[in-house]
Amino acid sequence: MKREDALGSLEHIVLLAVMRLGANAYGMTVRREIESATGRDISIGAVYATLMRLESKGFIRSHAGAPTAERGGRAKRYFRTTADGESALRTTHEIIVKLSAGLKGLHHT
Amino acid sequence: MRDRTLQVLNWILSRIVPVTEREPLLGDLTEEYELRASEGSPSTARQWYLRQVCASVASLLWIRLTSIAWISTTAVALLAYIAVGVVELIVNEVTSSVSANAAYNPLGMLITFPMVVLIVYFAARLRRNAGLVLATLMLVSVTAMTLWGAESVPLWYRIAYFFAGPSATLVGSVLRRFRPTGEAR
Repeated sequence: MKREDALGSLEHIVLLAVMRLGANAYGMTVRREIESATGRDISIGAVYATLMRLESKGFIRSHAGAPTAERGGRAKRYFRTTADGESALRTTHEIIVKLSAGLKGLHHT
Repeated sequence: MRDRTLQVLNWILSRIVPVTEREPLLGDLTEEYELRASEGSPSTARQWYLRQVCASVASLLWIRLTSIAWISTTAVALLAYIAVGVVELIVNEVTSSVSANAAYNPLGMLITFPMVVLIVYFAARLRRNAGLVLATLMLVSVTAMTLWGAESVPLWYRIAYFFAGPSATLVGSVLRRFRPTGEAR
């Protein structure tokens, strides 16, 4: 993984949410997944800004879905992680595991 | 969603969101609003919608600005150009204690060169084409100074200056391409 492409904390969370949601990852579900996991009412603008950044780094890809009535006739934009995105997640996870290893108070007994 | 307030909020958001994100983002907000209104009360859903719009404005303005690539590239190049000017001033001040004619000192140029390379390296990391814009800015300013500058500048210095700036931007841009990378496992 390129050093400059290391994940920021929100990028990390959004990328994990996209990966968890699989084929059903689009703006609203990503936002709700993060909200249910963190308890934070994250804004849709912040989610989209992060998704765009991740896409420009090549960590996710997007494609348009069909318009639906409950969305006022607007189409969804689905996201999925790329091989580079999954590699970035693994690297970030390894860093967190290494840095937190042996630290008192971080692990449940 | 027929609520007048929500229509106004949608209109405000649609002015801020980049065109490519407008339809999916407004669709996502509408879908969740409808979901919340059906699960709870419409007034709670409306308050949530208002909070979402207010909280999204800063992020959306930022992606709108950064999506205009040439503006941010030019801004980064201009900042780098200013940084190069500051470095030259400092180096001239320092070398003035060594040489009587500090302004046209080869030592100053030798010290400045790697610093310009470093500045271009970081500028090109922020924006890939910033080095190219900076090189153009340097060539234009050197040409203008050569043609219309009132100060008498030695010929060797003019020639060296003409090549030094663009060469430094070229080296900085090339270094940015060959930056160290870690092997992904």
